[in-house]
Amino acid sequence: MPRSVIVIGSGVAGTAAAWGARGRGSKVVLVSAGAGASAFAGGAVDDVPWEQRTRAAHALGLEAHATAAKLPGALLEFVGALGVWDVPAARGCYLATMAGRVRPARGRDRALLDLEALGRGGRVLLPRVSRPGWDADALARALGDDPFAKALKLQFEAVDAPVLRFDEERRVTDADLAARHDDPARLAWLGESLRSAVAEGTGVAAVLLGPWLGLGLGRADKLAALVGLPVGEALIGAGSPAGLRFEVARDALFKAGGIEVISRRVRAVGVAGGDASGGTARFAVSLEEKDASLRADAVVLATGGVSGGGVIYTPAEHGAGADLPSGGRVPFALSLTAPVRLGDGRGALEATSSLFGPALDTVAWPTGSRQSLLEAVGVQCTGIRAAHGLFAAGDAIAARPRTVLEAAATGWHAGVEAASTG
Amino acid sequence: MQASPVRLRRDDTDVDVVVIGGGVNGVGVARDASQRGLRVALFERNDLAFGASGNSSGMIHGGPRYLTNDPHVTETSCRDSGHIQAIAPHLLFRIPFLAPVERSARSRVMFTLMDAFFEAYDRYQPFKRGKRHARLSADELRQLEPGLAGDLMGGFSMDEWGIDGARLCVANAVDAMERGAKVYVGHTVERVERREDTGAVVAVRYRDRHTGAGGRLRTSVVINATGAWSSITAALGGLPPTASRVRPGKGIHIVYDRRLTSYAIMGQTIDGRQIFMCPWENVTVIGTTDDDFYGDLDGVRANSEEVRYLVQGIARVFPAIRNARAIGTYAGVRPTLHAYGPSEDELSRDHQIIDHAVHGAPGLFSMIGGKLASYRLFSEEMADVLAKHFGIGLRCATHVTSLPGGDATVDPFALAERAGIDAVAARRLVYRHGSRALHVEERMKARPREAVAVCPCEPVTEAEVRYTVRHELARTVDDVSRRTRLGLGACGGMRCAARCGQIVASERGLPPREGMRQAINFLERQALTRVVALGPEQARQEALAIASVRSELGLMGDDDLATAPAWRQIAQSEPGEQSAHSRAQGEVVCPDP
Repeated sequence: MPRSVIVIGSGVAGTAAAWGARGRGSKVVLVSAGAGASAFAGGAVDDVPWEQRTRAAHALGLEAHATAAKLPGALLEFVGALGVWDVPAARGCYLATMAGRVRPARGRDRALLDLEALGRGGRVLLPRVSRPGWDADALARALGDDPFAKALKLQFEAVDAPVLRFDEERRVTDADLAARHDDPARLAWLGESLRSAVAEGTGVAAVLLGPWLGLGLGRADKLAALVGLPVGEALIGAGSPAGLRFEVARDALFKAGGIEVISRRVRAVGVAGGDASGGTARFAVSLEEKDASLRADAVVLATGGVSGGGVIYTPAEHGAGADLPSGGRVPFALSLTAPVRLGDGRGALEATSSLFGPALDTVAWPTGSRQSLLEAVGVQCTGIRAAHGLFAAGDAIAARPRTVLEAAATGWHAGVEAASTG
Repeated sequence: MQASPVRLRRDDTDVDVVVIGGGVNGVGVARDASQRGLRVALFERNDLAFGASGNSSGMIHGGPRYLTNDPHVTETSCRDSGHIQAIAPHLLFRIPFLAPVERSARSRVMFTLMDAFFEAYDRYQPFKRGKRHARLSADELRQLEPGLAGDLMGGFSMDEWGIDGARLCVANAVDAMERGAKVYVGHTVERVERREDTGAVVAVRYRDRHTGAGGRLRTSVVINATGAWSSITAALGGLPPTASRVRPGKGIHIVYDRRLTSYAIMGQTIDGRQIFMCPWENVTVIGTTDDDFYGDLDGVRANSEEVRYLVQGIARVFPAIRNARAIGTYAGVRPTLHAYGPSEDELSRDHQIIDHAVHGAPGLFSMIGGKLASYRLFSEEMADVLAKHFGIGLRCATHVTSLPGGDATVDPFALAERAGIDAVAARRLVYRHGSRALHVEERMKARPREAVAVCPCEPVTEAEVRYTVRHELARTVDDVSRRTRLGLGACGGMRCAARCGQIVASERGLPPREGMRQAINFLERQALTRVVALGPEQARQEALAIASVRSELGLMGDDDLATAPAWRQIAQSEPGEQSAHSRAQGEVVCPDP
């Protein structure tokens, strides 16, 4: 009988876990309460945090970045199956951000413009579009001033080319504007508009736009074919359509892979009762608004960290009203009950010796290479193992790098282990 | 903007008066002295309203708190509040207070006492167009504010006025500049030079803290209006710090994401101090503490103990505060008159001018103590001393001359339509700038794309950011935030800081990377002030902000980049860049001396 695996969470880590477990022949059920950090993500596919990569470039010289670490085959296979990202096998890429930086990344959402692929010494055009957050002139100046852009010998230039068709598009959200480019006719119109802008200049290498190129997959590539040059988005830190595109790709993957998805919030993961004579599942997963619980041989927690909503900050003082809080407590909790402990990379979290909450004065912002407490908190694990038969993946694991490829790798690994461990 | 041609009083000086300190008293006296025809230079080490003036409770209240100890402080504060209202009506907004009284063994006596107390305060209300107090039953209180908790026997209403302290400082500084004063922000005075024989002031030596460039300005009068920094400044003039002594009292405030109530609510801390929760502009503010301060005045921050102490006090009357979303804190240090012995709350809020001639330093004056609500009167008293010193007969007119923007009212809805911005943005713009909002509107009309909102929370348009850089001495993202409240909303600047940095850099002709560095600094500093009040709702936003900034802007300061040899090489090989937006010569409001 195939082993049954329940994956909790449908972000990058959960998706990879479900895919990995399904690939090993398990019966997989994925339970998700909705959007988490992956759905908000900007489309940079990192293996290690960007700062780390930049520091390495300091130490080893700029070209160090060109030789990226090789990724395991299984991971590349997952990336390929998902189809929304491009992670070159042997090199990294450079992305332009909406904040005006050129940043290295291991891979990218396919709609983002890869500056590394443009070769050296070209001009990148930025159409002037009257939308909040998009000032083509200022952005072009900022990007051109970036050391990486100078190393790549790229020039950025604002140009006049119509991108908006209707006045109200100056105010709609990025995702709404992106959705309009899912319409082939609209995309063709934009292609025409950009093509005439490109034709006016010489030495144009690419066109950079805001995060507006479709919620479906492949819109940027289609647009590039229409224009005859690479066209792509700039990266926005949170709330990018890249998160929505990931969800589209993920849902397609689940459908193709025969992975059952339940859209509910998990209340608790418990060890199931029953006889030890075999056949009984080890875990019982109870869902909100549902009496019966699901049973499985193994469970993968891919519920995310604080930013994804999988870990909740719960100081004792919250909700205490006019009275004293009820007692000291661990200031963080998993969004569901499970037989695991939370840690911050330096050990398990303990109840604070305060009726109110932890001393907060120093935990706000990451310093140097140290993660902030809000980033670090997660399930204490040995590798991906939180308890016997219970695995964690992605941001749910304490103090791992909070990157997409880390989530995918730990997710895939957890899925495979859950499918095979007795 | 024309500088009235003023004649120097003495020919051995560059200016008549040097004012040190860009808080409300410093800019107030700079304005008054300039108005009376004196040539003034003002030096501010950080930014206008950087200290107590920009971090106060944001009220020009008469301070009923002081009625028992210092009744004349209450009176002068109320009178001067009335004047401020007349010269800057756009900056004021009414804050009705509720003061609930808990039922207890002595609550009946308490109620009668408080009634008499507010009765006494009513006498001062007409000075500031305030309403008389009203006695309220417990039911009436709960009807006005259903969130009130506790066994109440009744309470009172009281009327006060809110104000944006930073805007008040900027308005005074701009007025002073338009009357010929020179205002140097980000410039620290390193020494006040005095004659060896007579001890008289002859010059100040100053340094631009950003470029490191120094200079000397000859003057016969120096006014130390540096608030909590006062003793340090006195020492720069070769006086013992005790010659200009204050008792620095730190006060913190907590900011919530929206107006939680329609009325301000008074509460009591565990040690019996009066605190309040108050709807202020478009947020709610809780304040305040008063603790002796021994730390670094350039980096005053709230800590989580202070936050919990205040929240505990408010939770007794308004328990829902524990579930509300705190989005930040701010802290300042009051320059209270010095006394050894009394508790912080008992200290006098009066003000005082010290003529350091008594310490052998003629020409050096210190302005000590004071309140936001009576800054104008304090400045008038100081300027009277100056007038006497220079033998000019002109009387003070600062209470009858409008501050910039206070001369006419502007209809925000009409402005919204004309400029193509939304009504909320227009209202906020008109609040901050009064009739000067029309200047910002002109920018938007000339360049329609500047009407785009940079900070959607507040909201602030690009035109306004550029305006504050060009006409209000803003140099950094922090400065713009202080003047417009950009980045202080629920998103913590995650969306707008980088963009604002780009605009500031382009407006000042700096390389874009400098704007980026400012943005990162701003975000980091704001995160430190937010986290001490962190609650469950804000925690996720905070984690998202970190992730977002990590992926879009990078958490490394540019200094990190500059130290790497490879980067330096690239930076050196590139010629310095000139921004297309660098400002035209005539528009520079504060040229180097």
